[in-house]
Amino acid sequence: MDLKKEYRIKLVSKEFLNSDTCYLGFECPDIANTAVPGQFVNISAGTVFFKRPFGIASTDKENGIFYIGVKVVGKGTSEISQFEPGLMVDCLGPLGNGFDLDGFDTVILTGGGTGVFPINFAYETLTALGKNVIVCEGFRNASQVILNKPSYILTTDCGDCGIKGTVIAGLDTIDISDPAKTLICCVGPIPMMKAVSAWTGEKGIKCLVSMEQRMACGAGICLCCTVKVKDEGPDGFKNVRCCKDGPVFDSTEVVW
Amino acid sequence: MGALSVNVGNVSLKSPIILASGTCNFGRELAEYYDLSILGGISSKGLTIKPRAGNPGVRVAECDSGMLNSVGLQNPGVDYFIENDLDFMKDSGAAVIVNVAGHSYEDYIDMVNKLNEHKDKIDALEINLSCPNVKEGCMTIGSDPAAIKLITSKMRALTDLPLWIKLTPNVTDIKATALAAQEGGADAVVLINTLMGMRINIKTRRPVLTNNTGGYSGPAVKPVAIRMVAECSQVLDIPIIGCGGIADYQDVVEFMIAGASAVEIGTACLIHPALPVKITDDLKKYCEDNELILKDLTCTLQRW
Repeated sequence: MDLKKEYRIKLVSKEFLNSDTCYLGFECPDIANTAVPGQFVNISAGTVFFKRPFGIASTDKENGIFYIGVKVVGKGTSEISQFEPGLMVDCLGPLGNGFDLDGFDTVILTGGGTGVFPINFAYETLTALGKNVIVCEGFRNASQVILNKPSYILTTDCGDCGIKGTVIAGLDTIDISDPAKTLICCVGPIPMMKAVSAWTGEKGIKCLVSMEQRMACGAGICLCCTVKVKDEGPDGFKNVRCCKDGPVFDSTEVVW
Repeated sequence: MGALSVNVGNVSLKSPIILASGTCNFGRELAEYYDLSILGGISSKGLTIKPRAGNPGVRVAECDSGMLNSVGLQNPGVDYFIENDLDFMKDSGAAVIVNVAGHSYEDYIDMVNKLNEHKDKIDALEINLSCPNVKEGCMTIGSDPAAIKLITSKMRALTDLPLWIKLTPNVTDIKATALAAQEGGADAVVLINTLMGMRINIKTRRPVLTNNTGGYSGPAVKPVAIRMVAECSQVLDIPIIGCGGIADYQDVVEFMIAGASAVEIGTACLIHPALPVKITDDLKKYCEDNELILKDLTCTLQRW
């Protein structure tokens, strides 16, 4: 097996999607050619100590470019949002386990926040394969809506566009003919994923969630980014690594 | 023997570079990035007699030039390690250093007894008397010279495996704790484990770490570690393994001049997993350029 590398890669494109979120393209054929939806990259972020993890939002295999979305939430993401094309950064990836999308007639992709980026990658991948895909995304309000397509089911908390309510209100509008042949992939804030997990549990639909936890290495060696999952041992749970054992988990395994 | 080979007491290492406990798990994940046989050694994740889930909640807080962690010795337990990880470490080609942690004297004794049964696969035991993230044992014992001497002598009586005592910097006089380890029969001391620290979220006024405090590591602690290595090298007869903020070959050289026979690299590998490959290559070039062998650097500090 080829050894994994730390790449030194070039930022080749940048656009702002709204006031605090930008979309960056990096040249790295290895990552563009091998990444699958749900995987992430760790990118050096200016002056802060650690790299920052970002779900891969899209790949352009022909040109060897992958894309990420960055919402400014702190110092690291602020510095990254100020990067200009041409800048070289350190990068590890693709990291983690992606969504296992095989074996289902219909895949419902749902989420919100920066979760829309990995959902975008999953949507592109599945539609390229000719699969039946339904997307349902939730945002706080219209100004937060990004990467939206006319075919998507859209919800907003305040109802200023799309359906008023959470993604659950959007999911309720979907006619699910065969739950056993339907898969839901959810990427969003923990309360959203918890609610979607409960919703799928009632309907008997398999649900994969992409967990988020404060990360250090991204490579599975520091045990900082753990997620609680069910376990048959005396504690009833065990801590597993979000970066290496996840970030994608079956929602029924997670201790919410 | 190459220019990088060093000895820590009776333990011969092909290079002074050891992966620090808690920053490399048992080596498997880093073997995806490079051939571990270039390393002098690998120090396992800190092991306890029973599996530990570690601390709940947020376990890492980024700092200027470093990090706080409060992982809390999450590990699969020594029995699982012996069954599932020890052979991997042995086969890696790097020296096998097993990091032993505990909550009581009995824990340490039980651990040493268990590991001693597999001594053909182990090059040294690194006794963790310094983890700041568990409530009992570890740092509590490691802050008290009399307790260090007692626990070390108890372990000494049980095994002829090299005993490396990893000490905490969270003490007034590191020389006193290092000498206590030596008097107890240690073969070497590892200086230093993390410094206790805290970060606070100014919006919530709560500590960033759910454990409230954590261990500070990274480049910021390097001068503290070098000072402690230099101090201890003046009073100890046993070798020192230097640890704290090493991120390039110059850092390795600096620690060795201060008195280290070998070094451990940790936090820097969390950022650049294959960093030991670069440091090894750079050290080889440094030795060639300066026409020296690395071990001759140990304890060559010229004080003012």
